[in-house]
Amino acid sequence: MTKPRALDGVRVLDFTWVRAGPMATRWLGIFGAEVIKVEWPERLDSFRRNVVTVPTGIEPGPNSPGMFADQHVNKRGITLNVRSDKGMDILKRLIAVSDIVIENFSSRVMQSWGLGYEEQKKLNPEIIYVSMAGLGQTGPDHAYTTMGPSAQALSGQTFLSGLPGQPPAGWGWSYMDDSGGMYGAISALTALRHRDATGEGQHVDLSQMTTGITLIGSAFLDKTVNGRPSRRPGYPPGNRTTWPGTPVMNNYRGPTTAPHNTYRTSGDDYNAWCVIACFSDDEWTNLVNVMGCPDWAKDAKFTSLAGRLQYQEPLDQGIESWTRTLDKYDIMERCQNAGVRAMPVQSSENRVEHDPQLKARGMFTELEHPVVGVRKVQNAPFRLSKNSVEINRHAPLIGQHTVEVMEGLLGISHREVAEGYDDGTFWPSGMPMYAYVEEALR
Amino acid sequence: MTIPLTSNRRGPLSGLLVLELADEKGQFCGKMMADLGANVIKVEPPGGQNTRRVGPFLDDIPHPERSLYFWHYNTSKHSVTLNLDTADGKAIFGMMAGIADVIIESYAPDYLTSRGLGYDTLSRTNPGLIMCSITPFGQTGPWRDYQTSDLLHMGAGGQMASTGYNEEDVPDAPPIAPGGGNAWHMGCNFAYMSIMAALHYRHVAQEGQYIDVSIHEACHLTTEAAVPNYIYRGEVVQRNTGRHHSVGPSFASQIESSDGGWVQTTGSGGNPTPRRLRGLAEWMDTYGLAGDLLDDKYLDLDTFQASLPHINSVISEFIKQVPQEEAWRGGQKHGYPWGAIRTLDEIVEDEHLKERGFFIEVEHPELDRTFTYPGPAAIYNGSPWAISRRAPLIGEHNVQIFCEELGLSKGELTALAEGGVI
Repeated sequence: MTKPRALDGVRVLDFTWVRAGPMATRWLGIFGAEVIKVEWPERLDSFRRNVVTVPTGIEPGPNSPGMFADQHVNKRGITLNVRSDKGMDILKRLIAVSDIVIENFSSRVMQSWGLGYEEQKKLNPEIIYVSMAGLGQTGPDHAYTTMGPSAQALSGQTFLSGLPGQPPAGWGWSYMDDSGGMYGAISALTALRHRDATGEGQHVDLSQMTTGITLIGSAFLDKTVNGRPSRRPGYPPGNRTTWPGTPVMNNYRGPTTAPHNTYRTSGDDYNAWCVIACFSDDEWTNLVNVMGCPDWAKDAKFTSLAGRLQYQEPLDQGIESWTRTLDKYDIMERCQNAGVRAMPVQSSENRVEHDPQLKARGMFTELEHPVVGVRKVQNAPFRLSKNSVEINRHAPLIGQHTVEVMEGLLGISHREVAEGYDDGTFWPSGMPMYAYVEEALR
Repeated sequence: MTIPLTSNRRGPLSGLLVLELADEKGQFCGKMMADLGANVIKVEPPGGQNTRRVGPFLDDIPHPERSLYFWHYNTSKHSVTLNLDTADGKAIFGMMAGIADVIIESYAPDYLTSRGLGYDTLSRTNPGLIMCSITPFGQTGPWRDYQTSDLLHMGAGGQMASTGYNEEDVPDAPPIAPGGGNAWHMGCNFAYMSIMAALHYRHVAQEGQYIDVSIHEACHLTTEAAVPNYIYRGEVVQRNTGRHHSVGPSFASQIESSDGGWVQTTGSGGNPTPRRLRGLAEWMDTYGLAGDLLDDKYLDLDTFQASLPHINSVISEFIKQVPQEEAWRGGQKHGYPWGAIRTLDEIVEDEHLKERGFFIEVEHPELDRTFTYPGPAAIYNGSPWAISRRAPLIGEHNVQIFCEELGLSKGELTALAEGGVI
């Protein structure tokens, strides 16, 4: 018997695009919410134009980017011209029958459409409205626009990453979009709990950039409480907890310890690296044993934490002389079986093809998509004992569900829907239509 | 609980009783719930949770009541101490679990079950209970019992494979794990989300449930294009200095400013247009640094697009001549989504954050001092996200909860303390 889904019956009207917003609705959709993505072919979501993830041999177009296919599972998609009176009227009818409206436009775009929270509330008194602008809807810089890289730079996240004396390494992707997306879902679900308890909807004005600052809280307090400046020798300390030759200090990743670093492993693969961390004398002793008690490791200077911190360079060199002889997964198994914390640095290929844990837990589901074919899609990191969290719907082709939503949800007649295609409400006049749209209209 | 323990009674999670048995892996989930109005009781081992031993410390003086790390992650919570290896500790915990809405726990798999405190047992008397386990790899699978850390998760989860330096910038650099303990945040964000989903389901179906969250999977799902690039193209990304991972070469987008800071121009993500470039170039020209960007040929879309490498390099050369603050704000004023690589030195002075009420003064009455904390990242217009109090002292609410709520006498409390139970 199929389990029910946690958000069965919750309808989300989804104006999001690019990355952060679509990830928010991806999570809501995985919990079973009915997500309706509103699009317009003349103003495409940039990930519908993301040619670099279009599979080889498939013609680039709005339905072919892999990124879009992965981040829009479990959603339906409609096309609607909100710049026409008729389109706006339909939009208002959709708001009236939705539980959650969510968007990640620049600040106050919805207001400029006459659809700020107060107006939405008139259409639907219990509406939950989540806006996800980079810097929020208020404040002197609200009109600034951000992308993931600039949001994480402004939040202080970028500066916390890298080797001392080198430029910041930052994050190698839009962490603030992934994370901002989670906060979009978190905001919507928190407001839903409030509505369940009180019957009241509300507006959540999320600032994606600001979420990043709450994620560096102990660094924040070190500044506001202790007055410690961020620009200082040895900071950030790379993958170590504290950099040798600079004052020993907590740098906000957890306990200060050594060894705690990246080490090269055998082979010349770009990601032939592993990570090892010892948080006690016992763990260090275990590591010495796993390494076969080499002479260098028996040196008295490494027996204490103070010594290991002071002599991190020779310590790390010694460990790497051992890790270089072994495969990264072999190192992990030997260490973990002996009570030593070690993991491989895993590439995307490693995670998709090799990682036995992700495989055992069913991280990837095969899903058929009419354009990109049968592909693996990524699941969710949570399992609920009473609710299904399965992925059962491929990303919508552009305009795939317009007819279905207009007729099925709003009860607009087939003839009126067809008229809407003729007058430019549901598809731009003069733009060729896809066969699946023609088919739905027949 | 009958006595409301939170002062944020208008928060969106007001009315929920949450028990938190969590170290670094789960404390952030409890903090979010507490700041959003839930009554979160942290159940610590006698002597205090181990996260109290993590720095930095107030005035750099290590002490379990002075950990800024603990302070940040435990705002708005209450604390009781309880030894779950004793019969009395288990019994008292069972009483609390009988009236709780949510339990967050980050013990090793089987720890609670082996003590008779697993979900199946606790939910027998409290079928509405929602229990969320946050563990490194989840409750099943071959790596289930492996030990980890933030660094290890960043390695296994894929963060490090995407983050670091181009060889020409920093030769022989390792993959880099960004700082701040973000592996725990990734796990907690998903844990929070799934608890909220389960609360909604409970509202509809009148039943609780058990949730199994894997931090490894949470990290794996936080690497953006790396996995789709592989699934759809068979390509593995490389690391680039201060910008996105990529399959091939990409434009440098983190540019050092004249005052030794950096500006993030977001590269091709800036979505530039000829019209925007004109505005930007006019501004650059006031410094005499517009190069040839005011040439009318760039108003032609094809020429503009074909010239992007050149345009980017002129803009980069310009940024190198301008102070960080002036450069990124100037870009923003002309429609470019630039940012500055800010440190907390700048962030704590930010006027925008001030106006949005982000900086919260939190009283520490026992120290007779008040400190500035990071506050709400989102403004809820109907029910505030607000820090209601500083992190609790060790067992600060033992009397209130064990005696006033659960009905133990002061004498019994003393006996429990002497017996190592609390």
